[in-house]
Amino acid sequence: MKALVVDDSRAIRVILGQMLGDLGYEVAEARHGREALIHLQSHTDTALALIDWNMPEMNGLELVQAVHADPRLVDVRLMMVTTETEMAQMARAIEAGAHEYVMKPFTRSVIEGKLHLLGLPSTHGAAA
Amino acid sequence: MQPLDDVVKEFLVESLENLDRLDRSLVDLEQDPHDRENLASIFRTIHTIKGTCGFLGFGKLESVSHVGESLLSRMRDGELVLDASITTGLLAMVDAIRRILAAIETTGSEPGESYGELIATLNRLNAPGPQAAAPPAAAGVLAEAKVDPGPESSPDAAATRRTAVHVADAPARTSEDTVMETEIPDVRGADERSGAGDRRPAIADTSLRVDVGLLDKLMNLVGELVLARNQILQFTTTQSDSAFVGATQRLNLVASELQEGVMKTRMQPIDNVWSKFPRVVRDLAVACGKQVRIEMVGKETELDKTIIEAIKDPLTHVVRNSADHGIEAPEVRIARGKHPEGVVKLRAFHEGGQINIEISDDGAGIDPERVRRKAVERSMVSAEQAGRMSDHEALRLIFLPGFSTAEKVTNVSGRGVGMDVVKTNIEKIGGTVDIQSAAGQGTTLKIRIPLTLAIIPAVMVSTGGEVFAIPQVSLLELVRLEGDQARAGIERIGAATFHRLRGNLLPLVHLHSELNLVSQGDPGVVNIVVLKADDRQFGLVVDAVNDTEEIVVKPLGRQLKSVQVFAGATIMGDGHVALILDATRLAQQAHVLSADRDRKLNDRQGRPLAHETTDVQTWMLFQVNGAERMAMPLHLVARLEEFATGDLERSGGQEVVQYRGEILPLVSLTRFFGGTAGADSDPRQVIVFSDRGRSVGLVVDRILDIVTETITPTRSQARPGILGAAVIQQRVTDLLDVAAIVRHAVPESVPKSVAA
Repeated sequence: MKALVVDDSRAIRVILGQMLGDLGYEVAEARHGREALIHLQSHTDTALALIDWNMPEMNGLELVQAVHADPRLVDVRLMMVTTETEMAQMARAIEAGAHEYVMKPFTRSVIEGKLHLLGLPSTHGAAA
Repeated sequence: MQPLDDVVKEFLVESLENLDRLDRSLVDLEQDPHDRENLASIFRTIHTIKGTCGFLGFGKLESVSHVGESLLSRMRDGELVLDASITTGLLAMVDAIRRILAAIETTGSEPGESYGELIATLNRLNAPGPQAAAPPAAAGVLAEAKVDPGPESSPDAAATRRTAVHVADAPARTSEDTVMETEIPDVRGADERSGAGDRRPAIADTSLRVDVGLLDKLMNLVGELVLARNQILQFTTTQSDSAFVGATQRLNLVASELQEGVMKTRMQPIDNVWSKFPRVVRDLAVACGKQVRIEMVGKETELDKTIIEAIKDPLTHVVRNSADHGIEAPEVRIARGKHPEGVVKLRAFHEGGQINIEISDDGAGIDPERVRRKAVERSMVSAEQAGRMSDHEALRLIFLPGFSTAEKVTNVSGRGVGMDVVKTNIEKIGGTVDIQSAAGQGTTLKIRIPLTLAIIPAVMVSTGGEVFAIPQVSLLELVRLEGDQARAGIERIGAATFHRLRGNLLPLVHLHSELNLVSQGDPGVVNIVVLKADDRQFGLVVDAVNDTEEIVVKPLGRQLKSVQVFAGATIMGDGHVALILDATRLAQQAHVLSADRDRKLNDRQGRPLAHETTDVQTWMLFQVNGAERMAMPLHLVARLEEFATGDLERSGGQEVVQYRGEILPLVSLTRFFGGTAGADSDPRQVIVFSDRGRSVGLVVDRILDIVTETITPTRSQARPGILGAAVIQQRVTDLLDVAAIVRHAVPESVPKSVAA
């Protein structure tokens, strides 16, 4: 199963990539919204995207809006990766079409729980 | 210390990189607080660091970046406007973050410090209410907060602060040293090809991080390959097998391209060094109460990584100097009709296989008269020498060790090292430094450095059966004298030999005698390699000039390190080893370099400058009035000439001779010092002296010798035309006051030229 991590920080991409990789996901990375959108449009079988808020080029909210507007991408589950300071804006993302959120920092079990809520593979190697 | 987790490493490298950019972004933001784009990017950097900390369990880092983030977010939302105290606060935060990252890098965990004070200050800045209430007090606290309150805290705040900055700088450097970013073009195509088996298609990564050690190793291997290629190329000269020759040619091309490619991977934009300067200049300007703007042109100019490292400190020093000593205080600038804000301008560009870097300021400029005075005060040059120097030569005195023109030593740039260190460091990597300055208008420092140190073009010469390489940077031209010229073209004055190159006396250094080899050259031919060392030229006489070659510089073994005339070694196409000659050292060893260089050498041997009263110089000895021995510095001698009495003419009571399309006035030293008129020999022996376009011929009895000696002049023998006396070659010798004689003999300016 394919997943995409969208974040402008290499370190965060590595952290999230490792977590999803252990669950068996085939993980791709994007540095900002625009890159993510292009990737999703060329890999429409991607099941999950973890999306950061604050990115150059195209931010997380704009990405969610763009994904929502593309009928080919209705099946992608969008999970916002936020921080406490961004929680106030969460409502806007949900309105725009985000399915779930997770607050930084989070542990492996938190993200597993969220994936479970989304009906996605959430145990070790399950997504392979 | 435990080995760092990959994620932590990634975090450190990424954060340090972003922080380097942040220094500049914050300074830019201060100039234009409403630049939303910039503000957003600053916010993102801090935000990312904070966000990642949570995962990695760096609590302190998280709390420091958290307060910074809140401050930045209020600015982003327009609730706060950046001012100087907030900028200073945010810069202090950046420094603190750097220190924490440094501690994590070296120890694996956060430092003991609590950063409570910094956090409190940032919170205060963030407090709602009239902004004006906070700044003055806050700025004071911040200045302290910047001081690393470590256990070594000394009462000298300035010194401590410098330590703190130094410490903060260190980790950034380490991480740069070990990892550098390399652009790998065209990876996108590869991504698309890679199938489902690839766990991470990573569309994000069109660039790779590569260990510098690996690049160094590649560079070395390419060097070896180039050598092997050169060896194979030698075989083709005796081979007629066209398939072999064809394959060799392809190998030749591929090896050259590979060499170029690997060299490119080591290239980094000069901005990697420059990006720190806006912060440096900003801090300096604030500390000195000045307004300084920094402008950069050619940021993308690329240099080899090793060279980037080597120029980092010298450039920083020069930029600090420009801002600290160059740019005047705003009120002074206004009084001089300038804009209160001074400009320090950096420019970098490629030219002729070299990098040019210019650092200019529109400040007060350097007064050559003051430089002369100072140099004389410090016994670096004699008053007579100083008076003779052109303004440009005088300016170059600031490159002498221990020279500092600043009226007072400030705690920002007066750090005990001077421009001499800058010059030495630049020269160490085969570069040159020059300075230009106009009083009231500013100063420009020009640095030229090679693109890379690893592979350089060189001319190969041989002497006494050995082959030597001379880097082309120091090469000016090649002169070959045959037949009659080989005898007549070399002039001997005492033990020294000269070649008259386009009218100028070029001192010759015979390579075989410098290296104690036996010359095997054709006695009927003289090969002269004209080299530039410092500002001087000299001719190196070799048996034969072979060819030019791209050589791979290898460091010298321990046995040869002490032989200073060699800069390294290389392996030639035929597998033999050739030593690389260092032109400057060679000139020093042969004593053909100017006095300042000799002085520098003396300093290296630990002789204190302050007690130095003697002059090491090369002197021309001559005889006047039948028996008087006199001397003048060789560097004042333009040419030696002989004129038949029949060629002499008179003009306005002055003996003159038509010479090279000009009228050359002749001064008989014998007559000047009270000897009999007409006693001069036939033909006349004439020393041609040139200064700022004026030439005068000094008629002497005969030239005796040229010596390089450390002399102690005494003024007791001084009289008109004589500066004093000294013991040279165990005999008392009068030192000619050339300036006085020329003034006396030719009071007004000499007519420039006559139609031939």
